[in-house]
Amino acid sequence: MLTRPTATRRTILKGASAASALLAAPAYLRQATAATPIKIGIPTVITGGYALLGSQVMRTCKLVKKMTDAKGGVLGQPVEFVYQDTTGDPATCVRKCQELVERDNCHILTGVIVSSEAAAMLPKLEEWNAIFISHGNGDGRLTAELFVPRFFRANTSAPMGARALALYLKDAPEKKFIAVASDAAWGRSSNAVFEEQIKKVGKDLVDKIYAPVANKDYSPYITKILQSGAQGCYVALQGDEARAFYSQATQYGLAQRVQFFTEIVAQADIKVLGKDAIGLMGSSRYPLTYDIPQNKAFREAFMSEYKNEIPDWTDGEMFQALMILFAAIEKAGSPEPMKVVAAMEDLDVTSVKGPILMRKCDHQGENQGFVVKVAKSDKFAEPIGEIVKVYPRELNTPDCRSSSFSK
Amino acid sequence: MSVLGFILAQCLSALSQAAILFFIACGLTLIFGIMRIVNFAHGVIFMLGAYVGYTAAVWSGSFLVSLIVAPIVVGAVGMAFERIFLRHLYGRRDGGAYLMLTFGLAVVLSELIRLIWGAQPLSSGIPDALRGIVIVLDQPFPLYRLFLIALGIAAAIAVWQFLERTRAGLLIRAVSQNSEMVHALGTDVDLVRTGVFGLGCAMAALGGVLAAPLVTAFLGMGTTVVIDAFVIVIIGGMGSFLGSIIGSVLVGFVQVLGAYYFQDLALAFMYFLMLIVLVIRPGGLLGKEE
Repeated sequence: MLTRPTATRRTILKGASAASALLAAPAYLRQATAATPIKIGIPTVITGGYALLGSQVMRTCKLVKKMTDAKGGVLGQPVEFVYQDTTGDPATCVRKCQELVERDNCHILTGVIVSSEAAAMLPKLEEWNAIFISHGNGDGRLTAELFVPRFFRANTSAPMGARALALYLKDAPEKKFIAVASDAAWGRSSNAVFEEQIKKVGKDLVDKIYAPVANKDYSPYITKILQSGAQGCYVALQGDEARAFYSQATQYGLAQRVQFFTEIVAQADIKVLGKDAIGLMGSSRYPLTYDIPQNKAFREAFMSEYKNEIPDWTDGEMFQALMILFAAIEKAGSPEPMKVVAAMEDLDVTSVKGPILMRKCDHQGENQGFVVKVAKSDKFAEPIGEIVKVYPRELNTPDCRSSSFSK
Repeated sequence: MSVLGFILAQCLSALSQAAILFFIACGLTLIFGIMRIVNFAHGVIFMLGAYVGYTAAVWSGSFLVSLIVAPIVVGAVGMAFERIFLRHLYGRRDGGAYLMLTFGLAVVLSELIRLIWGAQPLSSGIPDALRGIVIVLDQPFPLYRLFLIALGIAAAIAVWQFLERTRAGLLIRAVSQNSEMVHALGTDVDLVRTGVFGLGCAMAALGGVLAAPLVTAFLGMGTTVVIDAFVIVIIGGMGSFLGSIIGSVLVGFVQVLGAYYFQDLALAFMYFLMLIVLVIRPGGLLGKEE
């Protein structure tokens, strides 16, 4: 006799439970994914001489987190930034990145301050299965001789900053120039391009000075500038070095004899120098007053969040790097490093600095060139860099995997 | 521009640099001479002076007030540190304990400065009376740097007179030579040590206030200057006040002239000078070989 399979109550309950679990699984998994943040490692300078730049990186990350999470995150996932203090030292930076990757599971890195730190990280990216998006590292070699596929530079590089100035100086009345640069990778890279470019436009570079890193007394160099007979002085110093140089140059009355053209106009320097900064000209990594909706929205959100503090170039560049990163993650549909690399290649977005193309050939972001002049402003409590000239991104970006310009 | 004017301007630059270096090196050598402590926190004390000076100048609206308030406040901090922490180590013979403790003080003070004043560099500028330039043989030279030279000379004379002509100075010199004997004669040696540590910190703080208009007050401003100060103390002789003056002037000149004529080797010159001195006189120019 055939026995008919009988469905007992217990069997039905088991089957129903299994079926409901199966049906519920995707929703559950979706919920788990949504709760899992996209982790971004920020190996930046929290203590030491570059702590100011690190603090700017961190404040912008906090603002971006707030803004992004309020919009529902990236791919529906919240963003989480994990900070580590590199102290500005390349060896420490590599060690902290290793911790970020292995311990904190951060395979996307950004916020690195010093170019030599960035250069030390590049050979390790593949081993870490990580990608690194520069927000401010200027050394031209990072997307040229040192190129690695997992590195992108969203920011204006040192050669690009020097290029914008050289283009501007082509029509400037000054004929003879002298250059003062920091004796570091960034300073030498900037100065090399400035020298090449200024000679190309038919002007004369009478002398160049490389001041030791963390130099404090600029009086010998100021004397040299006074003696040179130059009408213009190109300055590739930043941070503490730039402030020391401009403070001392002001005390010598140098600004009345020579027009300064600085590689990076920084709001932090303007704030400290006050009225002594008025008249300073230079290349701007982030043009505060650039009149496009994206920049206006960022500027207003920043000033509202930080009690009318004016965003500096590091803030603007960090914001831009993160917006490009998020656009790439959205395009890739995943934060998986190599998918983001593929998505970021030839990604064309409009950022706070206008249109940016993350070109495929060397992963350098094509940024427009901005030349600004520091002036008093009715809209801001401090003097700011007013835009004097904007150069198209194609003209302002060096040849592929190079620091030179053939255009 | 005349050659003479140029040489004079370079000499004045070197002297103004030497004045700043003297304030920090003098404190360092006093502390070492009396207490045999290599104060690793001296650079941060210098930085603290700049920040306290900034706050004093902003509150009072006077640079002069900052020149008085900062040394007093920072000197008091130094004295408190000596009283609370350092004196427990005096019985120990290993110098490593002092190094670790003063290094710890440097780290803690740096972070406190960052928490109190923030990472933003600060500058209250220089008073209008000290702005402007004077023309020295066709060469512009900042009035503020002349002020630094004058103040450096005045401070050197004042400390020298204090050490040589006052009873307190006599006690300090006596403690530096034989503290046990001085103690046996009924002098409170601990009080002398506290006072010297406070004086050393106050001198560094004064240097910090004076340096701020040149470099602004920023985190890390004491890092390189303290290395210069150690080199000066080694050149002049550990514990020698006069040696710290000579060392400051030598290093000031080497830094300024080296930066002008040999840019690429500017940093090396100072150490080269130290090397020569150590080869010829291992105890420093005016120090005693121990």
